[in-house]
Amino acid sequence: MSADSLLASATAPVPKPKSTRWKGFHYLIPILLLLGLFFVIPVLGLLLRSVLEPSLGLENYKELFGSLTYAKVFYNTFLVATVVTLVTILFGFPVAWLMSMMPARWSALVFGILILSMWTNLLARTYAWMVLLQQTGFINRILMSIGIIDEPLQLVNNLIGVTIGMTYIMLPFLIMPLHSTFKSIDPSVLRAAAVCGASRWQAFWKILLPLALPGLASGGLMVFVMSLGYFVTPSLLGGTSNMMLAELIAQLVQSLLNWGLAGAAAMVLLVITLGLYAVQLHYFGRDKHGHN
Amino acid sequence: MKQNQKVMNISAAILVAFTGHMATADSMVFTSWGGTTQDAQKKAWAEPFAAASGVSVQMDGPTDYGKFKAMVDSGNVAWDVVDVEYDFAFKAAKDGLLEPLDFKVINKNSIDKRFLTSHAVGSFYYSFVLGYNKANFKGTQPTTWADLFDLKKYPGKRTFYKWSAPGVLEIALLADGVPANKLYPLDLDRAFKKLDTIKSQIVWWSGGAQSQQLLASGEAPIGMFWNGRIHALQKSGTSVGVSWDKNLTGADMLVVPKGTKNKAAAMKFLAYATGADAQAKFATETAYAPVNPAAKAKLPADMMKLMPDQYTKSQINMNMNYWSENRDIIAKRWYAWQAQ
Repeated sequence: MSADSLLASATAPVPKPKSTRWKGFHYLIPILLLLGLFFVIPVLGLLLRSVLEPSLGLENYKELFGSLTYAKVFYNTFLVATVVTLVTILFGFPVAWLMSMMPARWSALVFGILILSMWTNLLARTYAWMVLLQQTGFINRILMSIGIIDEPLQLVNNLIGVTIGMTYIMLPFLIMPLHSTFKSIDPSVLRAAAVCGASRWQAFWKILLPLALPGLASGGLMVFVMSLGYFVTPSLLGGTSNMMLAELIAQLVQSLLNWGLAGAAAMVLLVITLGLYAVQLHYFGRDKHGHN
Repeated sequence: MKQNQKVMNISAAILVAFTGHMATADSMVFTSWGGTTQDAQKKAWAEPFAAASGVSVQMDGPTDYGKFKAMVDSGNVAWDVVDVEYDFAFKAAKDGLLEPLDFKVINKNSIDKRFLTSHAVGSFYYSFVLGYNKANFKGTQPTTWADLFDLKKYPGKRTFYKWSAPGVLEIALLADGVPANKLYPLDLDRAFKKLDTIKSQIVWWSGGAQSQQLLASGEAPIGMFWNGRIHALQKSGTSVGVSWDKNLTGADMLVVPKGTKNKAAAMKFLAYATGADAQAKFATETAYAPVNPAAKAKLPADMMKLMPDQYTKSQINMNMNYWSENRDIIAKRWYAWQAQ
């Protein structure tokens, strides 16, 4: 496969014949019914509460958008999601690239480690980070005993703690789609670039990155969207000044019984997520994995 | 044919077992907060109650007000008796989420009036006390709420209860010199201003186990704690100091969600759990005080000195009625302040 045909297949849509598009759809009906009954209807119920409770109208939305506290919560949510996505890409990109170049046995091992960490209980992993990161924790003790720092670093109950904990959890969700994209890139493309006189940086920016972009976009979006709605890790590793939307919703539902406002917050989160997904579909979705 | 017969037999057996079970089904669900406290509730109340009454008691938890409300709203109530915070009990009664108690079954007169309403009866009563890790405070030891706010005398991290609930604001006001009898209505401006002075040094605990972890590891070697959690730490051998000066009492309450299918069993359970024996047994396990005064006589002498009801001299009752009426307003300010 030449570079040209690869590039073409990565950018140009391959329209499927109309007649086959809905073929086999009826197999999906049971699962759609199940989802509709146990997922869509209850979610709609909560969202409806946002305009029904305590009285019919948009009061909840007014309150949500009119308050500085909630603005801060929105800001925190986007800040954390952005930072986590960037850091995840920073660490995930080289790992995925290395995995695609490793001998199969080694990359299977790395894959195994990723999967294993995903299978471990989320709470257990989060508490483990708490123990590692706290002032009297393992990392601070090591750093102090070898004399790198005199005072313990504040690594938890703040943005740093949330970023570390969440990046760790999100890494597999970026590495996996990215790895499959890298796998489909013909290594001879890079060789060709080198033969034509491209430096390593040029080969990276002009060849590798554009080819990896679909995988990077879908992985990155997945991490970003998951981070927007994340609950356990930020609420355990973050401080009160980093409260995110999901924790606010949990507070409103569980303790304050203000389901109208919780529904409004959930609605806003849903709209943002769907909006982002639409953007991604528009730019990368038509042929996300067209060539593999 | 033989095969068919077998199937029929098994079906019949299942039917009999099922309907038979339905006919004598005397079981109920008790929901509480989990951890050592619920273990003690199981041991002191649920198990002996089941043995005495024949009603089997299943445990569930943790208490979740969202779930509570959803159950009552949908008419699908899976919990029969629930351990809740006092101010929630007030609010839930007002919102129509609770069954009124049956005082023909529950003996009203045996229970401390402070922990009794038409819809809720005390579970146990606790105090917020000042606790500190002795390893971190070898010189002068902290004794008052003012010490907890004194960064010069006692520098370092301190830990407070994370949620907008009775306790933290009261402590801030007491530390700022507000006399105990002038606490309510809470002067929120003054309380938050006082909290501002130590905000950067606060580590929040969101559950009892976390508070113990913070204190025992020295991550936050001083703070406010439920007295039972301190007691459990001391019992496990951690060297923890405690000051009962101006300890703040509150109580958990037992309530019955509206629409429970096992109302009669629930009332019997409440009667049993608030009885002198059950209360004494629970208090011995946890160092939380009984809501039934007659239970005191049944407590071992060495347990007595660990109970909040031994430190009544400077004790302050948190005003749960005030909290139930103002919790929403306070919550808004609380989270706004925390998020800053």
